[in-house]
Amino acid sequence: MPAGCCKLKRVDRRTFVTLAAAAPLAASPIDVPAYRVVTPYAKSQNPGMPGPYPGRAVRVHAEKSIDPGTGKVDLGTVRQMLSAGMRALTGDARDEDAWARFLTPKDVVGIKVNCSGAPRIRSSPEVVGAIVERVLAVGVPAENIWIYERFQNQLVTVPYRDFVPQAVHIHAAEADRGSVLGYDPKVYVEANFFGEEDTRSNLMRIVSQTLTKIINVPNMKEHQASGVTGCLKNIAYGDFSNVARSHRNEKTNTYSFIGTLASVEPVRSKVVLGVMDGLAGVWHAGPFSNNARFRFYPKELMIGTDPVAMDHQLIEIIEAKRKAEGAISIFNQSREILGDNRDPNKNAYIREAGHVEYASKLGLGVYDAAKIQVKRIEL
Amino acid sequence: MILLALAAAIPGIFWDAPPDTAPALKEAGIRRILVPAGQAAGWKQVEGIAAEVADPAKAVKLRTPAVNYRFEQASASRVPWIDCNGWRFLRQPDSRYFYDATGALAAMAAAEALAWGADAMIKTDPAGLKPLAEMLTFGEGLERAGMQPLADFGFIDDGSSIAGEVMNLLVRHSLLFRVVRRPDPNLKLTVQPGSKNYPLEQAKNPGAMAQMVRADLTDGRRSLRIYGSAVVVGRLETAAGRLRVHLINYDGAARKVSGLRVRVSGEFPKHRLALAGLPDAELMDYEVLTGATEFTLPELRTYAVVDLQK
Repeated sequence: MPAGCCKLKRVDRRTFVTLAAAAPLAASPIDVPAYRVVTPYAKSQNPGMPGPYPGRAVRVHAEKSIDPGTGKVDLGTVRQMLSAGMRALTGDARDEDAWARFLTPKDVVGIKVNCSGAPRIRSSPEVVGAIVERVLAVGVPAENIWIYERFQNQLVTVPYRDFVPQAVHIHAAEADRGSVLGYDPKVYVEANFFGEEDTRSNLMRIVSQTLTKIINVPNMKEHQASGVTGCLKNIAYGDFSNVARSHRNEKTNTYSFIGTLASVEPVRSKVVLGVMDGLAGVWHAGPFSNNARFRFYPKELMIGTDPVAMDHQLIEIIEAKRKAEGAISIFNQSREILGDNRDPNKNAYIREAGHVEYASKLGLGVYDAAKIQVKRIEL
Repeated sequence: MILLALAAAIPGIFWDAPPDTAPALKEAGIRRILVPAGQAAGWKQVEGIAAEVADPAKAVKLRTPAVNYRFEQASASRVPWIDCNGWRFLRQPDSRYFYDATGALAAMAAAEALAWGADAMIKTDPAGLKPLAEMLTFGEGLERAGMQPLADFGFIDDGSSIAGEVMNLLVRHSLLFRVVRRPDPNLKLTVQPGSKNYPLEQAKNPGAMAQMVRADLTDGRRSLRIYGSAVVVGRLETAAGRLRVHLINYDGAARKVSGLRVRVSGEFPKHRLALAGLPDAELMDYEVLTGATEFTLPELRTYAVVDLQK
């Protein structure tokens, strides 16, 4: 084990108590723990993130995409949104050509959904179904398509099966919550955040061993720990084991851990496309959606290959919604905000929304707003 | 010699019910029991069960090995509380111990005693007979020749309750030590509560003290690491070219651990797994790395013994 990595600081009693109880000074959001990345996979010359369209995001809005009253999604409209977005991103006139830029018939394609807010807010089965239609149209056999998530108990609450052929796999890493068997023991990030005994977070086995390409389908959500949860968090905390250990008291370490995980090979190479499902979203107390008051309906899909640029857009969407609701910014890191998050001006953690900018420093995409090209489409 | 003798110990079943309960014992496959002196004469008449007199009052009473999912008092840690007796065995290796464990917990008690080579008797109820008998049969099947406990550091134990609690926390974190009278140059570290490096004031917070020891030892120099469960405790025994890994799931009476990754120091190309309750199980993802060996147990119900060889 290399020196300097995962080293525990020898703490005196006073420091330990501080760490254990509540430690804003010892646990400043700008702290970056020592990470040790272990992977046998080499860096790709052409990684999927940020991919061929760095600094670009296409936002497609359709008023009739979802009925907020019933939650019913209009599949036909979703298909049109996906088509318009993909053609705008690539400049291709035909869907087939647009999708063929990312996938070949020989690929084994993973669709990373987000079910942490399920059953109410999740990667919509209609959106996932529309994506699967396009993947099939490229020539990828149904049995080479995997819809996947970490936790079985969340995944089974969403009726993906109703929208995809029977041969498409619907897979969770943890059928038994906490099991390590769905993770690759040879690909992990080691870090010691709070003196926890298990210092490893391992990559899902199907990501390293089965899939050749991944389409990332996050939602538009505020997140109590990381500020927002979009492309980066869905592919980072959503692909690796034992990540909840990074949170203790109000400190979450999401600032650096999200980008670090997302940049691990082969994740970085295999994630070739992001389709952010913003038909419905969460503007506070995310990633869950227990309180209807904090749901909202952007009625849009955001498409791109640059997770940083897309998540920067997400930050703007969430901030605008929170401002409209009279809630504090997700960048407010004052201790005054700590409290019961049924109040939209309170939160359980000091949010670390800076994780998106941090990820840009790891080469995952473009954060500078002046350099991000956003194409808006209204259907 | 004492350690070697203890390593060969198999726990005994203490049974204080009258001889007319013999059919239940036989059905569970039990052929040998420990009984109170007052019952001895009656049991001598029972065919097929050997009875030996034992007195629990002369033994050190132990907590039942288990997990308590309360939050720790000192922090919002997600780490559950483990009732583990390993530190007692290290403090008093020549004592005799007594468990009173019902149902599936009786097997947990047996697993713990086997893993630590403790001389123990286990009292149980009718529901505990079968799981206890199965665990003892598992223990009898383990080859136990010449293995010595492996320690990374020495602990100078003054016999105080504070030192005992620190030892308890060290054991629960699978930080491998042995009790020494003075620093042993063959060990990586010596821990003495009350010394300059480990002031008594800090030892009053045993969890913090355990973290200090871990920091001083460093994870890189630990002979054993366990990934994937906060309720498994491990220990190592060694002999020439061989290493034995004992793994106990302290929540085993309630739920299995689904997959466990283990790393030990040293390169061991050969391996053999003995997994209680799963006789045909095999290790997964076995890797011999530079200076270390790693493997995954497919599951751990209560107790596993992994024998590694160079």
